[in-house]
Formats: sequence, structure tokens, C-alpha cells
Amino acid sequence: RAGLARPRRSLLFPRQQIGLPCSAPAALGAQRAGRSWGFGRRCCSCPAGRMGLDPLFHAWSYFRRRKFRQCSELCSELLERPPGNQMFYFLLYPVQAAWSLKTRALTEMVYVDEIDMDQEGIAEMMLDENAVAQVARPGTSLKLPGTSQGGGPSPAVRPVTQSGRPITGFVRPSTQSGRPSTMEQAIRTPRTGLTARPITSASGRYGRLGTASMLTNPDGPFINLSRLNLAKYAQKPKLAKALFEYIFYHENDVKNALDLAALATEHAQFKDWWWKVQIGKCYYRLGLFREAEKQFKSALKQQDMVDTILYLAKVYLRLDQPVTAMNLFKQGLDRFPGEVTLICGIARIHEEMNNISSAAEYYKDVLKQDNTHVEAIACIGSNHFYSDQPEIALRFYRRLLQMGVYNCQLFNNLGLCCFYAQQYDMTLSSFERALFLAENEEETADVWYNLGHVAVGIGDLNLAYQCFKLTLVNNNNYAEAYNNLAVLEMQKGHIEQARALLQTASSLAPHMYEPHFNFAILSEKVGDLQRSYTSAQKSEEAFPGHVDTQQLLKQLKQHFAML
Amino acid sequence: MCHALFCFTVTAPDLPILERKNWLIYLLYVRQDYEECKAVIKEQLQESQGLCEYAVYVQALIFRLEGKIQESLELFQTCSILNPRSADNLKQVARSLFLLGKHKAAIEVYNEASKLDEKDWEISHNLGVCYMYLKHFNKARDQLNNALELNKHDLTYMMLGKIHLLEGETDKAIEVYKKAVEFSPENTELLTTLGLLYLQLGDYQRAFEHLGNALTYEPGNYKATLAAGSMMQAHGDFDVALSKYKVVATAVPESPPLWNNIGMCFYGKKKYVAAISCLKRANYLAPFDWKILYNLGLVHLTMQQYASAFHFLSAAINFQPKMGELYMLLAVALTNLNDAENAKRSYEQAAALDKSNPLVNLNYAVLLYNQGDKKGALCQYQEMERKVNALKESSTPDFDPEKMVEVAQKMGVALQVGESLVWTKPSKESKSKQKAAGSGKSSSSQQPLGSNQALGQAMSSAAGYGKTMQLPTGAGAAAPAAKPPSLPLEPESGSEASPEETSAPPEAEEERKEKQQSQEAEE
Repeated sequence: RAGLARPRRSLLFPRQQIGLPCSAPAALGAQRAGRSWGFGRRCCSCPAGRMGLDPLFHAWSYFRRRKFRQCSELCSELLERPPGNQMFYFLLYPVQAAWSLKTRALTEMVYVDEIDMDQEGIAEMMLDENAVAQVARPGTSLKLPGTSQGGGPSPAVRPVTQSGRPITGFVRPSTQSGRPSTMEQAIRTPRTGLTARPITSASGRYGRLGTASMLTNPDGPFINLSRLNLAKYAQKPKLAKALFEYIFYHENDVKNALDLAALATEHAQFKDWWWKVQIGKCYYRLGLFREAEKQFKSALKQQDMVDTILYLAKVYLRLDQPVTAMNLFKQGLDRFPGEVTLICGIARIHEEMNNISSAAEYYKDVLKQDNTHVEAIACIGSNHFYSDQPEIALRFYRRLLQMGVYNCQLFNNLGLCCFYAQQYDMTLSSFERALFLAENEEETADVWYNLGHVAVGIGDLNLAYQCFKLTLVNNNNYAEAYNNLAVLEMQKGHIEQARALLQTASSLAPHMYEPHFNFAILSEKVGDLQRSYTSAQKSEEAFPGHVDTQQLLKQLKQHFAML
Repeated sequence: MCHALFCFTVTAPDLPILERKNWLIYLLYVRQDYEECKAVIKEQLQESQGLCEYAVYVQALIFRLEGKIQESLELFQTCSILNPRSADNLKQVARSLFLLGKHKAAIEVYNEASKLDEKDWEISHNLGVCYMYLKHFNKARDQLNNALELNKHDLTYMMLGKIHLLEGETDKAIEVYKKAVEFSPENTELLTTLGLLYLQLGDYQRAFEHLGNALTYEPGNYKATLAAGSMMQAHGDFDVALSKYKVVATAVPESPPLWNNIGMCFYGKKKYVAAISCLKRANYLAPFDWKILYNLGLVHLTMQQYASAFHFLSAAINFQPKMGELYMLLAVALTNLNDAENAKRSYEQAAALDKSNPLVNLNYAVLLYNQGDKKGALCQYQEMERKVNALKESSTPDFDPEKMVEVAQKMGVALQVGESLVWTKPSKESKSKQKAAGSGKSSSSQQPLGSNQALGQAMSSAAGYGKTMQLPTGAGAAAPAAKPPSLPLEPESGSEASPEETSAPPEAEEERKEKQQSQEAEE
């Protein structure tokens, strides 16, 4: 009767965050500008005669080969040269070119794709007043994942996260956490208490992901922002774009970036959509979502861009309007049929709203366009696993392996799939490799936890006990392991130990129904009906559709009502 | 209790100031308008400076309904201080103690209350229940019988029956339940429990009757539907049973016994893949249930996936180390994995654990025969005959699976031929092959063979299971002792078995199904 917490699989691929030069028009525009300076310089640099290759061109070549450090070093050398050594004509351009190139090199070093990166800090989450409706109707808000409409697996089959969503196949920056109801929950991350979230996003993750502002140059910062005459630079659109990106990404100084962008867009007579998108980005960072929405919309009117759609959708998600975001994606798909990021966006929204089956449909669409999309493969795989088709899930995970994904999570999932699909020869070797590849203790704990489930599956309770213990050694906050240990203790008849373990589990993970329910059953057996009742109520809160809980509650209420 | 309430209100003709609003409190409480009621009580208590007994009493009742037993206990104690002559107050104090799990204290208070009021069935009943929790079954039974003499009540019958079941006296329990059903023929819970008990004893007619009655009074009854479905399944009505289960599945989608039964329905209809996936879901939901593992092993044996079958069976043995048939099936799986040594050991273990099942010996004989050990085979064969005769003498009516008899006859012929030394080697080979083919066919064609017998076995094992479940300590302690020898897993799963090998398994697949509702029964 007692519910064992389900095996959970954790495919925690971090989204690729750094290094992908996204197809953002920003990069393109700046590139074009850079190239023209490069050519202009080349025709007159030969007389300088060093190794035959013009230094600026050399720097440019470094930049193209993504050797940003060398590029920036070379550029600073160029910039430090006394003006007398420079050519006497085109005096201004080479300096500007080197300066601009260095700016871009520095930016590229820390470039983060702004679309994908989104980490809500505690402050944003707890003090969120942007949502349009505080008490939203079901199906229109991300805050109430509650009722699943898509006929997905119930929490008894598929474990849920803190926010009550079924666990997904792919961990993304903002989605898994949901919106916690209490401060304690907010401080604790969904899985463990090990990594806390930043207090606010403005101070936390952005600064850390782009670490450049922490790196100190011996000569001080490359550009001293406070002494910059923004109005002057705003007059020169080509320079201004590079400078804006430098301020935004490298210096992480949103306010100055916004000032520059505002001046520049004024100079462009509000006709350059690129500036509008940038202003929108700044507003988004500053938490002015309505203003950001206005900018993005106006940019979209001037120029249809996938990127702008993605930014706008992000704003809507932040305003807790998933349906609007979904419509936006669909409109975008009319104009850019088959665009992977848009389909993927729809799939994610469906998944977050607990509509697993239609999410799977959209992920399949993604795979039709791009059959190496890691996120889609992982999500479909985990979906199959939890709907009793481990064989098919195994195929998807094997595909990931073929694509060159080689990490702990993948082998962990492969091992579980193998076990449930009865490919016993592969199971243990997969887990072994997963253990070998585990990067930190949390991952090790996950693997041991799943090994515990395998041990239960083959009926070796001693091994299972040891596996769960090892899980706890690696990660002391693993509520599922506490719960399962308690169940094992109950099997042995050690009521007191089981009770203590269950209490730990339920305090660590109030979102799981198993520890509450088990505790209720245990107390009921001993005859302590009051505790049983309170636990059963908690269990019902966590999983309203659980029949056994309902029956228990009914029984207890009868007891109480009887005179 | 209603009497008591009326007493309070009626016995106040000239209402003293304290009791002025009792009628209102009573009315609100009976209407279940608890918020309002609490407000009135608060007012009343303020006026009377906490001396109004009735207000405190109702407040305590409301607290109890909200699950705040500790607070309600304190209030009831106040009540009994205010009015120490009232048995009702003491009873409520005792009841609160009982709900808090303090059974000894509750018994003391109940004894005190019984001094005030001798003839109260409720006191006796509750005393009985407390004794039951403290495992003093004799005293509990006395008290409950006492209560029945004073006043008949469904609940008392239930508890009495439960005590009999806890002590393992099924017959007496049935007697009690019968009386209970006579007393209140529309109580579905009693009907269901009685039906399940009959089912355990193999009295299908009456079981069906009672379960049917339960279903007419309450069509959505989960336990009764499940049990009725399993009986239909036992008689081969798989489609009807499935339609019954469909109803249950919408109401209780996470019930392991339900998925187990559905899986075995599919197995009966020869949809093996569906059967496996249903059974696996059942196993996923209840990983400690050996019956599901047993069924999984059986289905995989049928599918000739012997390595998987071995895994499930060995897991089942880990959870239930005292069942001979599990070892027998394990031996069959091992035979097919070409591990004759361990198969023999497993057969021996099975024979040691299960003294009455002739199938073990028959299968063992077949294995030995195929290995060329005629003497051993003959020995096992005789053992089997002895067991069959013993079974016939004990007149178990439904022991007669035709296939087994058929195979046994063939085996006998083969062995006797061996004795008289007329056979030549090739002829024996051909015979055994022929036999293998024949029995293999029979296993697939006459599928629902001996379902009654199988069900009977399943039920009896279910009863045994129920017993072990209630005494988990004993089972747990015994577990490691009888652990099977650890066997290396053969990697070649699902490989084609050679013709010689196929001769052993078919007769072993005596079908056993429906290992459900034992869980329900013992709840």
C-alpha cells in the first residue's frame, strides 16, 4: 500500500548558453560595419610593413576565428601606439576600427544568448506584481499548473516538481522552478537545498554568466562609461551598435545601455527596428514589461524577425499570459513556417501548463524540422518512459548517444530504460558509466537513487537499502530517498525509524504526496488518528486525485464524526 | 448521542441564564453550520465565563471534526470537570484518547465510565476496539460480544469479524459476518467482506451471491467490482471481466491489483504484449507485491523470454521465499536457460517447501528424464503418484487438470518402457519429442484449463498471503534464511530453445491467475 516514490530521471542538460553566435541581426550589422573598416585600412597599411600582414587585419582574422583574447590584445596594442606612427591620412578610421573591433571581441567573449537565459530571482518571484490576473482561471496561467488537461500521466506515475508539474525531460533555466508559494520554498531550489537562487536577477546570474565585469584589467576598464559622451556616439550608428552591445553584455550596465539606445533610436528617427529591440531588451531587464512589449511590437511592425517574436513571447510569459504567448508563436509560424525555435516555444508552454501530450506532439514537429534537437529528443524520451514505453524511450536516448551527448544524465536514463525494458545486460554497465561521469554529488545521488529502484525491482531489499543510504550520503536533502528508506523500514517492521524518516522527507519536500500519505497510513495503523488526518490532508493537497488518500480521509472523518 | 443532546435541551424548562442558547447551538451544529455555531458558542462562553457545559461540549465536537483532537480532548476534560456525573463526558474523553492512539488511557477512562452507566453498548464496543489495538484479543472478543448482547450494531460485527480474521479463524469470522448480514442486509461493506471470505474458501456460489448483492446496493463499489470481475475471469469470461475493470479503472487508476487483473485478462485472451505492459504498470505501482512478479514471470515464460522470467521470479522469491511454486517456475526458467544444475536445486527446494503439489515432482521427473537420469525420474514420478493419491483421498474435488494427467501418463509410459528395457535410444528420443510437441499444443489450445483448481490455489495462497502481510515481522525475519542460491544470469534471453528443451516447460505452466483482492480482503 505504501507508495514508493517513483524513480525519477533527471536529464539535466543545461541549455547551451555561451558561445553560440546567435543569428541575431545585431551581430550581423556590426559585422558588416567591421568589415568595411577592415578593407579601408588594408589598402594603405602595406607600407607599415610588419610580417607583411596588416595588424588590424590580423586582429580581424583572429576575431573571425573566434580567438577573441588575441584579437583584443592586438587591438589594444594598436590603440596604444602613439598617433605619430599611424598613417597620416585616414587618421581617425584605424583608431575607430581597432576600438570597435576590440569592443566586439570583448563582447563576444562573454556573449550570452539573451533569449534563452532567464533566471527569476527570489525578489521577482515573491514580489511578482506583473501578472495580469492574480487569481487566474485554470488553463490560462502558469501559476496554477494544477489540473492536467492533456491526459498526461498522474503524479503516481510521473514524479512532480516543487510547483506540481510533472518532471520534464530537460531542465531549463526558469521553467522547472515554477512559482513557489512561500519564502522557504523559494530559497530552496526545486531539487535540493544546495544551490540557492540569486536574490534578484539584476544582481545575480546576469553578472555571473557574463563574468567580464569581474575581470579586472590592470589598466582599468577598457571604456570608462561614466566619461563617455553617449550623445556623440549615438550620432554614429555603426559605432553605436558595437558600443551598445559592449555596455549591455560586457559591462552589464543596463541603464547606460538604455540611454545610448534611446539617443540612437532618436537619431535614426525611430526607423531602425534594431534599436527598438535593444530598448525592449533593456526594459525587460529593468522589469518594465509593458514598455518592453511596446518596443518589441513596434519593432515587429517594421521588420518581421524570429528573434523579436521570441523576445515578445518571453515578455508575455513573464506577465503570466501563456495563451497570448502561444498565439504569438502561432502567428510567427504563419510567417516563418517550420521555424524550430517557435515550435519549441509552443511545446514548452504546453509542457509547463501540464499538457504533456500536446507538448509531445509539438516536440515531434520540432524533430521533423531539426532531427538533432536535443531538448525535443530528451522530452519525448522521458514522456515515453513515463507512459510505460521504456523500449521507445530507449531508442530516443540511444539517438542522443549517437549524436555525441555523453554525460551522466544520459547514461542514467539509458540504464533505467534498459532495466524497465528488460535489457538486463546493459543496465548495470550504464549506471556504472553514469557514476563515472557524474560531475557533482547531486548527480551521483541521482544515480544511486535510481540504482536503489533497480534493486527493489530485482527484490534485493538489502541492496536497495544501501543504495538509498548512499544517495543520502551524497545528497543529504534527497526527500525521495528518505521516503523510500522509510518504506523499506516499514517492510522490516521498524515503525519508529520509518516515522522519523517520513517526517524528514515530508519536511524536505512538501510537494511530494508519498511521504505524507505513507505517514498517514503509518499513524493510522498505530492508531494515532489525529496525525494521520493532518498528513492525509497534506497528501490530498499535493495530489488531489489520489484515491487511497481520499478513502483514508473518508474513513478518518467517519471516525471523527462518530459520537 | 442524539438522545443525550435532547436531554440537555429538554431538561431545562425554566432556562437558566447559562443554558439559554443551547437550542441554537444544537440547531446550528446539526445543520453543520460550524462557523456560525462557533461564533454562538464563543458568545455563550463569554457570558457564562466558560461554565456552560453544553457549549464546551459542542465546541469540542467541532474541534474533533476539524481533526484537532488534542484541543477537543482538553475541552472534553473541562466538560467532565464541570459535570463529573455524566457518562457521556467520560466517554468522549476516552474516545479522544482513543483517537490519539493512547489506548491504555482510553481503557481506563472507559472503565470509569462504565461504572456510571452499566448498560451502554458503546462503552463495551469501544473497549473491545481498544483491546484489539493492544492485541488482547480475548478481552476484545468478550467486550464486543457484550456489546452485541446489549445492542446489535454493524460496526461491532465488523470489529468482531476482524478480530477473528486477525487470529486466523476464518470460519468463525464468516459466522459473525453472516449474522451481521442478516441483521443489516444492505450494508455493502459487510456484504463485500463476506463475499471475499467465501471467495477465499472457494465457495464461489455464495461469494458471487454476496458480491452481487453488494453491487446492486452500490454499483460503484470498487472492491466488489474487482472481486466480481476476478470471478468472471476465473470462469473464462474475459471480456465481461474487462468491461467491469474498465469501470473501476476510471475511478481508481492507480490500483495495482486492478492492473494485475487486467493484465491477466489479456493473458487469458492471449494478448501477451498487452498483458506484460499492464502487469508492468502494476509492478511499477506496487514493487513489493510478489504476486504481480509471479504473474510477470509466468507471462514471460509463455513468451519464451526466459531470462526476463528468471528475473521476475527471483524477485518474487526474494519477497516471498516460502512458496514452492515460485521455485518450480524458477526451475523451469533455469532449465530453458541451460542451467540444469541450478534447476535441479530449485526443484528440490520447491519439493521441500510444497509437500502436496504433484506438479513439482512431475516437472522434476521430466527434467531428470531429459537429462538421462531415469532412476531419479522414476523416483520423482512415484513421489508424484503418491501425492496425487493423497490428494484424491483428501477429496479435493477440483484437482484434475487434464493436461497434467495426460503428460503424466506419457511420462509413465516412457519410464515403464525404460524399465522393461525394450526401448532403443532413437525411439526414446522421438517419443520425448513427440510428447513435447503434443503437450505444447495442448497448452496453447485448451487454455482455460482447470481454472477452478487454479483459482482455488490462488485463493488459498491469497489467504496465506494475507496472513503473512499482517505479521510482517515474521516474514521479514524469515526472508534471508530461505534465499535461493544465487544464480548467474544467462545473457542469452529469448534465444531459441532446442527441441529437447521444450519438453520440460509446457506442463509446468499450470495457469494461475487472479491473485488480487487478497489485499482488499485484509484491509
